Amino acid sequence: MSSVTAPLDTLRAVETPEGIALTLRPAGLAARALAFMIDMCLRGVIFWLLFIVLMLIFRSGLGVALALIALFLLEWFYPVAFELTKRGATPGKRALGLTVVMDNGLPVTPAASLLRNLLRVVDFLPGTYAFGLVTMLLRPDFKRLGDMAAGTLVVYAETAALDGALPEAEPAPPARLLTARQQLAVITWAGRARRLTPERFEELAQLAASASEAPPGAGATATTRLLGLAHWLSGRRGEGAAP
Amino acid sequence: MTPLQFEAAHEAAWGELEKLLTAAEKYRWRQSATPDGPGGARLALLYRRACQQLALAQARAYPIYLTQRLEQLVARAHRLIYRPAAWNWRRFTDFLLIGFPQAVRAHRRYLLAATLLFTLPLLLMGWACWRDPGFILHLLDPAQVRQFDAMYGDGNHALGRERSADTDWEMFGFYIKNNISVGFQCFASGLLAGLGTIFYLVFNGVAIGAVSGYLITTGKAQNFLSFVVTHGAFELTAIVLSGAAGLCLGHALLAPGRRTRLEALKHHALGVVPVIGGAVVMLVIAAGLEAFWSSARWVMPEVKYGVGATCWALVLIYLGWQGRPASAQPEREAGHAD
Repeated sequence: MSSVTAPLDTLRAVETPEGIALTLRPAGLAARALAFMIDMCLRGVIFWLLFIVLMLIFRSGLGVALALIALFLLEWFYPVAFELTKRGATPGKRALGLTVVMDNGLPVTPAASLLRNLLRVVDFLPGTYAFGLVTMLLRPDFKRLGDMAAGTLVVYAETAALDGALPEAEPAPPARLLTARQQLAVITWAGRARRLTPERFEELAQLAASASEAPPGAGATATTRLLGLAHWLSGRRGEGAAP
Repeated sequence: MTPLQFEAAHEAAWGELEKLLTAAEKYRWRQSATPDGPGGARLALLYRRACQQLALAQARAYPIYLTQRLEQLVARAHRLIYRPAAWNWRRFTDFLLIGFPQAVRAHRRYLLAATLLFTLPLLLMGWACWRDPGFILHLLDPAQVRQFDAMYGDGNHALGRERSADTDWEMFGFYIKNNISVGFQCFASGLLAGLGTIFYLVFNGVAIGAVSGYLITTGKAQNFLSFVVTHGAFELTAIVLSGAAGLCLGHALLAPGRRTRLEALKHHALGVVPVIGGAVVMLVIAAGLEAFWSSARWVMPEVKYGVGATCWALVLIYLGWQGRPASAQPEREAGHAD
């Protein structure tokens, strides 16, 4: 929907080969930093458990070797391994509902995943992820340097369902001809019944009061009248009259 | 057509698509070699229809809950249908036999630059320390020099003299962690306009050159050279390869050509990933050789020289000639096998 004009928010439209614009919701700094901290803790726990087990079994030699290799793998390949699973996210990202995708919304490729995680070193410079933080704050799609080079994007996996089905009401015809945008506005308003307080809902309805006819039994609120109109617009008719 | 009629007319198809998607997402997610089970063709058909219906719904300004539901269906199917091909054993061997050496040759200019950045300081420092062993004290402190003396001398603390199997394993783990990390850092810091990579290459060249020159001129040539010759074939080559990949990143940023800087970076970065992947494999081989073969003092130095020379020849032949297409076929493009 937002592909026509530049969106006010950070939504990012990608086009499928079929010519359909899909929207991705890039995840911001806070969510990604939290996910990173969860992953750090998890890596620490995994390493120490592994270390204790290895030391108990081997005592030295092979145990030390395996511990060092585990440390190496956890440092560099922990994110890669998880990003290449079906969910496309490390446990930390999964906990926050994030996932790593390519710029075109497809699952991340092995090469891109390796690249974005190797370049983490540069994002970390000159310490505490300073470069990564700055680039993320400067860009509307919150990419760090590794994401830019690899062409990847960290997005929210699920779309937030802001609009629900219309609440029940008796269909009522419009008072005058409505343009497509006006119709959409009325139906969208009706879909937000559950998210808005009844007072605010009514307030908004009064702004559009002129669009709906006052029913014969006067006294109905602007809300019920406009809801009736919304049902009419979405195709319901009162007594079986075909639209 | 009103939204309700639209919904009623297509509800069955959407439900079917949803069911197929759920099934296909469970079914061997990344297996590219096999089709998506029985419903593959049906899924593609329903996907294209859903695309068309979504476009209609958007153009007709249908309620958001309706377009959003369709959009989610389309997005899921899109992810599934256009997902990248899976990695399997075949692709891995293709990568080792074709993709990696071809990618190396495709970046031969960077490889030359990286080789010079590494070997020139190495030779220069080696020569300086060979002429005057005291020169090494400009670079290392005396304690470190004494340590090298002990490692490659004939005394009891020499490398490999009294090393047990346990130490071999410990060193193997250490080499894996340390050397591959150095390779990765050498590559990644190329993103700093190539400066980080140049630093790593020159720094390693200077350090290795100085120590080599010093050890050779102080009469430990045999111990030292027989130790490094074999794994050096893999380790030094891999470090230079990482450096070449890093220089490629830096060059893309500094001289993007007809692309924007970001596009140039993206393009070149994905192209050098095979080089890095191959360097990792070489560094793992090097770690194994260094821990278990190079340190074995019971092997005659002559044998080690022979094996070392063979390894160098094999590595150079592999990188130079392996994976060339048969003469009839055109050369595959750089970075084709990601």
